[in-house]
Amino acid sequence: MSFGFAGVSVELGGKTAIEGVDLDVEPGVVTAVIGADAAGKTTTSRTLVGLLSPSTGTVRRPKADAIGYQPEAAGTWRDLTVSENLSFVARVHGLAVGSDRHRELLEVTGLGPAADRLADDLSGGMRQKLAVAMAMLPRPELTVLDEPTTGLDPMSRAEVWRLLARAAGEGTAVLATTSYLNEAERASHVVVLDNGRVLAAGTADSIRASFRGSLGVSATRPVSAPAWRRGNVWRVWAPDGPLPSDATAVAPDLEDVVTAAAFARREAS
Amino acid sequence: MWAMVIKEVRQVRRDRRTLAMMIVMPIMLLVVFGYAASFDVTTIKVAFPEGAPAGASLPDVLEPVETSRTDPVDILRFGDADVVVVTDGPGLVAAIDGSQLFTARAAVQVLTSAAAQGVPVTTDVLFNPELDTSAVLVPGLAGLVLLFVGSLITSLGVVRERQAGTLEQLAVMPLRPRDVFVGKIAPYFVVAAIDMVIVLIVGWLLFDVPFAGSIWLLALGAVLFLFVTLGTGVLISTVSANQGQAIQLAIMTLLPQVLLSGLIFPLESMAAGVRWIGYLLPLTYFNQIARGVMLRDAPFEAIALPFALLAVLGLVVFGLAVLRFRADLAPSRAHDMQPVA
Amino acid sequence: MTERLAETSVISKRFVDNLAVDGVSISISAGEIVGLVGANGAGKTTFIRMLLGLLRPDQGQVMLFGQAPTRATRRRIGYMPQSMGLYEDLTVAENLDFTARVFGVEPPPLDGDLASLGDSLVADLPLGLRRRAGFVAALSHRPDLLVLDEPTSGVGPLGRAELWETIHDAADAGAGVLVTTHHMDEAEQCDRLVLLSAGRAVAMGTVDEILAGQVTIEATPADAAAALALLETARLPALPTGAHLRLPGASIASVRSILGEEVPLTESDSSLEEAFMTLARDV
Repeated sequence: MSFGFAGVSVELGGKTAIEGVDLDVEPGVVTAVIGADAAGKTTTSRTLVGLLSPSTGTVRRPKADAIGYQPEAAGTWRDLTVSENLSFVARVHGLAVGSDRHRELLEVTGLGPAADRLADDLSGGMRQKLAVAMAMLPRPELTVLDEPTTGLDPMSRAEVWRLLARAAGEGTAVLATTSYLNEAERASHVVVLDNGRVLAAGTADSIRASFRGSLGVSATRPVSAPAWRRGNVWRVWAPDGPLPSDATAVAPDLEDVVTAAAFARREAS
Repeated sequence: MWAMVIKEVRQVRRDRRTLAMMIVMPIMLLVVFGYAASFDVTTIKVAFPEGAPAGASLPDVLEPVETSRTDPVDILRFGDADVVVVTDGPGLVAAIDGSQLFTARAAVQVLTSAAAQGVPVTTDVLFNPELDTSAVLVPGLAGLVLLFVGSLITSLGVVRERQAGTLEQLAVMPLRPRDVFVGKIAPYFVVAAIDMVIVLIVGWLLFDVPFAGSIWLLALGAVLFLFVTLGTGVLISTVSANQGQAIQLAIMTLLPQVLLSGLIFPLESMAAGVRWIGYLLPLTYFNQIARGVMLRDAPFEAIALPFALLAVLGLVVFGLAVLRFRADLAPSRAHDMQPVA
Repeated sequence: MTERLAETSVISKRFVDNLAVDGVSISISAGEIVGLVGANGAGKTTFIRMLLGLLRPDQGQVMLFGQAPTRATRRRIGYMPQSMGLYEDLTVAENLDFTARVFGVEPPPLDGDLASLGDSLVADLPLGLRRRAGFVAALSHRPDLLVLDEPTSGVGPLGRAELWETIHDAADAGAGVLVTTHHMDEAEQCDRLVLLSAGRAVAMGTVDEILAGQVTIEATPADAAAALALLETARLPALPTGAHLRLPGASIASVRSILGEEVPLTESDSSLEEAFMTLARDV
């Protein structure tokens, strides 16, 4: 039995934030939700945990004590220590404080030596790992994390994804949103949102395969074809028809899929 | 520099709360100092339990009142009158309620000049024989402490959580809104109570403020008052996005109470048009309870009305606070889908 | 020789018990884009504040346009902090108006996605558009030196690409740019890179110079979880990528000694990200 959405739409401030979204978050699997900003990633996670009500559709979620949630950026209580943060979560869920689970998480996150340090005094990466640990502590059925890796250095980002994989390994259904599109490669199931709707869902491979047309790389900006800069080159897109002659064909990645969609939408409006 | 000016003006124009403060505050201060700030006593209520003396013409300021009680001390304790005149041998003695500071001083003046003109009356000030200002002020200050901690500090505590973004997380945890609510205000309740006790002890030690009455009555009054102030604090936090806004609102609720509750300027001296505001403020009633209990050993019946009003205010404000807080914390709980088992 | 717009010589800054910046020397010339990369807390923001004259270094010297930072030099600098420096309770147009007045220039026109949003409150705009507006504000007085602190944080790929186009345009027009970023594809667009780790500049140069000699071992274990556990115990960082594990800066010998002989290993060039991880680790 999976959690998620069936045809969910959410209105925020008079505008439709997400529309007709189907979402499946399976236990034991890490699901990544990606998209440009204002795509609806945060709305999706907040609706999934019950902070927002959908105007249509159904949300499937477990009871409150079986949900672990980390909002974007806030996460931890800054004026409490690492241990105190974890203890608070334990108490709220009626679990023993300072249990084996508590110690296990401190070790797995590498926060053991910093257990008595204030959350405010941690580096960004360590604080995010604490946040993930807090969400994992009660072994929830569903864990939802909103942009847990934003702003972190690559090493910390990798470590957070490792923690998420570990949580999935324990049987939790994990949903993480991320603005680092290629990070989604690390998830087993990817959902791409574009302007509030699902653009594509499936494995990273299947989404890449859904790229419309062909993609090329060129050193100079092409005259007529849609293109955007990445690194020192231009990614050139030929939605229908052939690539311009000076562009070398290249396999599209997730970021290309999202960028192309945003591009197409902008051209259409 | 001009650029800064334009920018500030544009920003302030949009900030309704600051605008309100800038406009409302001076008006309020004007009203207060125009109509409320007065120590003048216009009437002194006199009771003659043994019957009014025949043929005597009373000075205008003395207003005779009827009372069913006969014991002068009781009459004063129950607040039926400010002065009670009874015979004392061949002459008269006027028992004066010292807890009504300015009325008492005026009464002493009037009676002393009457005595000087040959009326055989002596004065006996009860409840605050030295006519100490601190005796009258300290009970009110205890209320002020409760108000300060209850409204201002509490609202900051809740808003801080909202500002940090962690309120959202609490909403998703298996905490009922009431757990969060009570958990949040309980520490402030305790701190406020301790603070009040400290104020009273210091008042007693340093300023010889008497404590004539029942501790339990005062405690009950304090608890009721705390319900109102904590409720106000939480209410403020539900309409404030950050600590600055919370402070602004808290000040706007605190200042009128300091000025118009009878703490400094007696209610009776205020122009009627302004006095009604005082009757809406919770501190007014706590002040009455505290002064009555501490200085006059007032029994419950004497202060039943302020108690009742505080209780009603408490119910309303606290109730509103709970409703708003709950709505704030879990807006979708009401529309929850059937959770998957 | 192109004009040296900014130069810091061995500057350091200590906060109580934390050496935030330790002997960093960076120069920025006209027309070049210098990327400053590093984890949060590595000292990037402190460095920038010293460069701008907002903070005095304990040691070393900061030169802007050939002299110490003064109020006059501020006119030639465009700064966009991470928080964008926009007033949320003003509209876009009002913000640009304010900046324009302060610098004594005409407010710049709004084009592209921002064209119709002049009267929107900044607080009502999504992050990507706010950043765009912050950019316009920072560039409005045609500064010679642009200092941008994570200008694309939180912005989607299309928005990022467009912001970088603006950066390139500014550099092409002669401005010198210092940019901090977490995105490797953005780092690749810089003429020179500086990697800060724990306050020190552990790597400096062009992308090619930094990548030279950097090696990553790619392992393909049958049991990825077990392999990861072994590597963790041995404190060798590993990045799971699909079916492989990438170990930046490791050697075949060291990995073999941990994972055993059966696991297939290949040596490959490090990506920029992996090179940074290796260099930062060696501090």
